[in-house]
Amino acid sequence: MKSSIKELLLLLAVCLMKPHFAMGEIYEFGEPDSLNHLTLYSSVDIKILSPLIKHFIILNPDMSIQYEQMSTVGLYERVIAEKDHLKAGLVISSAMDLQLKLVNDGFAQRYQSVTTDELPAMATWRNQVFAFSLEPIVMVANRGLFPNSEFPTNRQELLQTIRKYSNDIKGRIGTYDVRKGGVGYLLASQDSRQANTTWGRLLEAFGSHKVRTYCCTNEIIDDIESGRIVLGYNLLGANAYQRVLNNPWLIMLIPSDYTLMLMRVALIPKNSKEAANGGLFLDYLLSEQGQKMMQTENLLYPIKEPTGKNVQSLNSSHPRRVIELDQQLLLGRDFAKQKRFIEEWEYALELNPELQ
Amino acid sequence: MWRRLPNYQSLTEEEQALKQAPSLKVRFILSGIGIISIIAIIAINLVFNYSQRMADLSYDRLLRSALLQMDENVVLVRGEVSIDIPWSVFSTLAQANDDRIFYRVDSSENGFITGYKELSGEPPKPSKLGEVQFYNKTFSGEEIRVAWLERGLTEANSQGTIRILLAQTRLAREEMASSITTRALQVVVLIVFVTIALITFGSHFVLRPLHRIEDVLEARLPGDLTPITINTPKETHHLKVSINHFMARLQRNLEQLENYTAESAHQLRTPLTSLKALAENARDQTTPERQKEALEQIVLQSDKLSQTVTMLLNQAVVSHRLQTQDLIEIEMNSLVKQICMDLAVAALQQNIYLSFESSTERAIIFGDEFSLQQMLTNLIDNAIRYSRHVNDNETSKSVDIHVFQNNTFIGVKIVDYGVGISDDDKVKVFERFYRGQYEIAGSGVGLAMVKDIVDRHGGTVSILDTEPQGTTIEVLFPYGVHA
Repeated sequence: MKSSIKELLLLLAVCLMKPHFAMGEIYEFGEPDSLNHLTLYSSVDIKILSPLIKHFIILNPDMSIQYEQMSTVGLYERVIAEKDHLKAGLVISSAMDLQLKLVNDGFAQRYQSVTTDELPAMATWRNQVFAFSLEPIVMVANRGLFPNSEFPTNRQELLQTIRKYSNDIKGRIGTYDVRKGGVGYLLASQDSRQANTTWGRLLEAFGSHKVRTYCCTNEIIDDIESGRIVLGYNLLGANAYQRVLNNPWLIMLIPSDYTLMLMRVALIPKNSKEAANGGLFLDYLLSEQGQKMMQTENLLYPIKEPTGKNVQSLNSSHPRRVIELDQQLLLGRDFAKQKRFIEEWEYALELNPELQ
Repeated sequence: MWRRLPNYQSLTEEEQALKQAPSLKVRFILSGIGIISIIAIIAINLVFNYSQRMADLSYDRLLRSALLQMDENVVLVRGEVSIDIPWSVFSTLAQANDDRIFYRVDSSENGFITGYKELSGEPPKPSKLGEVQFYNKTFSGEEIRVAWLERGLTEANSQGTIRILLAQTRLAREEMASSITTRALQVVVLIVFVTIALITFGSHFVLRPLHRIEDVLEARLPGDLTPITINTPKETHHLKVSINHFMARLQRNLEQLENYTAESAHQLRTPLTSLKALAENARDQTTPERQKEALEQIVLQSDKLSQTVTMLLNQAVVSHRLQTQDLIEIEMNSLVKQICMDLAVAALQQNIYLSFESSTERAIIFGDEFSLQQMLTNLIDNAIRYSRHVNDNETSKSVDIHVFQNNTFIGVKIVDYGVGISDDDKVKVFERFYRGQYEIAGSGVGLAMVKDIVDRHGGTVSILDTEPQGTTIEVLFPYGVHA
């Protein structure tokens, strides 16, 4: 009896010691017995990237790809944990700050090719992390259920709408949970940096109207579609646009006071055995073909300036606030700052019972 | 008569020698390049250090300002020391485009507050509260520059110190340093090339007067030995003067040679004419006794001619030796004694006694033995000859030879009691072919040669009067030193 308890404790200890990351969902592409293999760790929705991967495999028939989709934070922690025996040849994430921190802390390797050299300077840092898309951060509303016939086009109008239709809107706004998603935290911290007062008032309004928090853009839009909520704030433009195209009840709103512009960035981890294949896929993402495909198939907003007219092109009169891919992102992940920010956020949204 | 030039076999050999000869121009240019290279190396070294310092200075300012901004934002949150790093800190540091940033904040009360736990360590210099320090170290596989600050907390209700470390990698610094260095290197290289060009040009310019002298000499007619009159710079003045002196000497030597040849021919012609006359006379004599007498005279005349030729030959040999032979140690006593012994018998036949006397044991001079022999033989022979012509048969005739020495000189005195030499002649006797009294036999080449030999040995020769009558010749040589 005693020994079994001991064994149980031991087992528990082993379980605790072992890092237990969400392994995420795994998707396979290409012939399994192909000559070359590439593992992708990615936080990007498989639906967005799978057409690109398939096209890449058509171009490189001797390549098979394993795609592991996981959360941005999970991905970040996994790269650090696997630093000595890394599986992935390329790590793709929309959490720019976590990716940049990986580079700053020495977990990425340098990569340079003709394609990366053509990138604008803002789209890379140290030739170790590369942006392949630049998309607006948007709001999505449900046309049928939104209380006001006029949709808010900026944050001031959003605040007014919330106040005006306080009862209808209570509990029916959704946004990222800054504690869960890497992107959510990044967007919120950038909002607070861009317009601290507006952000404070917005947060206060969210708090008093019982905002719902989510891990991912898609889950928020799911709930907007189903009518649980009527409006989502700070959503990824590419995901939103795809959903809006398929559902006429949804409307995408691009804030006109300022539009945050987020990059999706990829890096090749240090010590990766598949670095060469990772570079090949990165080159494809940045290539003319890849970029064009993102545009024509409405998958992503390409990083390179779109040529010709396009449904996705943004209203240029809106001030764009591109989240810069440089050292400034590190500060958002400062331990003390992050802790304080999350505490304030929890306090404002009345989510932390200890502080009530 | 002159020391000979090395005789070049052909033009190619001369070209070969020219090729092997060191070049002034090349030497000048090489030493110039050497000096400028040393200067350039020193300059480059200085530039390297300077550019590193410059880069550190400017980026340290950046780092310091970022650190102080952090320091201003140390706050108390619910009684605990914390820090709210402003965004501006990182946008300041982002000016160093590609440099990674590391930082760490600690307080003495609460320990680690935020940043990179792995970043630690004390500055190399002893820390001083409130003072920012900079140092380099390796972190996360790269060289980093650390700004370090520890200060006492001034907030109310707080004790202890807070320590802030802020670091960035050195890429931007290295880039700035290398761009400064590159620029400076370009300038240095440019200066070096310009200087070398100037040196090359300058060497050409400096050496031009030499070429001009050369051209002037080249253009001359073979017999033209007049002085060079072109204007040249001070530095080549001495060269010009030396060349002119040399040419003047050459001119004199040539003149002497011409005179000598003419006189020699003349000297040989007179006895030959007389020989011819004697021979004709002998041919025309009818009686054997007369004929024999005439033939005796021919033999006598032939001896004289032979003597003259020997003297001329000796003179040529001595002249050559004087020009070419190195002087060696010679003991005068034994040399003079030997000559006296050689001549004594011949003198005695003429009823003249030679006496040798020396007041020194060893009389060493540096000289050429053959020339000295010739000189002494001539002088003693002359003395004997002059003594013979005194028509006083009563007195015993003698020639005294005396070797003596004082502090600086070895002297040889030859005293005869002959007819003597008038004061006018004393000056002229050393001229070639001058003969005071024509009836006395002798070639007359002797004294001029004696003068040459004495000069070559750095000595002096003087003619004095013997009391009551006669001539004393005194030769003084420097004591045992090279002429």
